[in-house]
Amino acid sequence: MDRVDIAIIGTGPAGISAAITSVIRNKKILLLGSADLSAKMRKAQEIRNYPGLPAVSGEALSAAMQEHLSSMGIEITEDKIISVYAMGSYFALQAASGIMYEASSVILAAGVTAAKPFPGEEELLGRGVSYCATCDAPLCRGKEVIVIGFSPDEEKEAAFLAETASAVTYIPMYRQEVQLPETIRVERARPAGIASDGQKRIVRTQEGTLTCDAVFVLRESVSAGTLVPGLETDGPHVKVDLQMRTNLPGCYACGDIAGKPYQYIKAAGQGNTAALSAVSDLDEKKDS
Amino acid sequence: MVKKISGDDFQEVLESKKAVVDFSAGWCGPCKMLAPVIDAISSDLDGQVDFFNIDVDEAPELAAQYSVMSIPAVILFKDGEAVSVAVGFRPQPELETWIRDTLL
Ligand SMILES: Cc1cc2nc3c(=O)[nH]c(=O)nc-3n(C[C@H](O)[C@H](O)[C@H](O)COP(=O)(O)OP(=O)(O)OC[C@H]3O[C@@H](n4cnc5c(N)ncnc54)[C@H](O)[C@@H]3O)c2cc1C
Repeated sequence: MDRVDIAIIGTGPAGISAAITSVIRNKKILLLGSADLSAKMRKAQEIRNYPGLPAVSGEALSAAMQEHLSSMGIEITEDKIISVYAMGSYFALQAASGIMYEASSVILAAGVTAAKPFPGEEELLGRGVSYCATCDAPLCRGKEVIVIGFSPDEEKEAAFLAETASAVTYIPMYRQEVQLPETIRVERARPAGIASDGQKRIVRTQEGTLTCDAVFVLRESVSAGTLVPGLETDGPHVKVDLQMRTNLPGCYACGDIAGKPYQYIKAAGQGNTAALSAVSDLDEKKDS
Repeated sequence: MVKKISGDDFQEVLESKKAVVDFSAGWCGPCKMLAPVIDAISSDLDGQVDFFNIDVDEAPELAAQYSVMSIPAVILFKDGEAVSVAVGFRPQPELETWIRDTLL
């Protein structure tokens, strides 16, 4: 696959604005996200503070942005990015589809999620807590694992882990019926924290404690710091300067992921700034 | 240069004054991305620090001994003693600073 100039992760107002400006500046882009753009944009009943569009509905604003993209021939690649690797002269983007995309620079416009990590989860990441079944399953050979799944999609990850682990317990964080092979124990518990006693991992739940060797926490989206190893963050937000540059050269952030306030126009404005910074840094690199 | 070793050659790590050991495996995506980064650092620190790579599938007892639960795991050894661990991919500047600060 060809390396693009700028990969943009997210199709909310921040990512769309960044894509538009990048294309106007003649950069080759890859816009990753959803054909439905953003649930947060769609769900708004009436938006009253977007200049030029008084009392526009989220649906109408989404449609207008979709129209804007297609009028410029900008396509959306429907894929979820799991990891962004800063390789020095370029970025490698690992997607859920299995594809590894490559880009000279990356703009993070993935929004924020309310999901808070469990107490102890981040401290034990890589030491018995994992976010990626595909990545760490082979290390679980003959081990007992607990999978905390935030959506029915994660059931196939649990089934995959059951092929190597000696025992799998699945804790669904949703109400729907769980469909799993019988070898997997389903525990309707409410996790409250993860701890380690050196040998075993302990999942504290409101119903009691469960022990195992490894815990997989599988959420729909990963936090900014987990998405891009080495990225400086402040809580759920990426640290940026006024040009939307992060601590990693060639990596920019905009919109909700870059901090409060959470607003459409601020997201769109920051997307524009991030794109202009990326363009100017790319042009400078080319000239030197 | 990064030297690929098996569990039987681990004595080399224990006998080294300053060693960086990259525990990884062929099937692991982040490990593949980290390999060229470690390689570049090993050129920068050539002659000052010894670099090794161990496939955890071929040395499960070593992985267990050093509590490697997730890979890639980079462990720094000083006079045969494990002194610091970094789990997961890191960009080169961050990893190199950590290695310099810990070992040099
Ligand atoms: C009900 C509601 C009403 C609101 N009303 C207003 C209002 O009236 N005025 C106002 O200014 N603001 C309002 N907001 C806030 C506004 O929705 C947000 O500030 C805005 O959507 C942020 O835009 P964004 O582009 O940063 O992120 P988002 O709109 O959250 O878009 C993020 C996009 O990134 C995608 N994504 C995430 N992770 C990945 C990944 N790993 N790989 C690929 N794609 C990924 C998501 O699918 C999504 O498409 C409202 C919010 C809600 C929920």
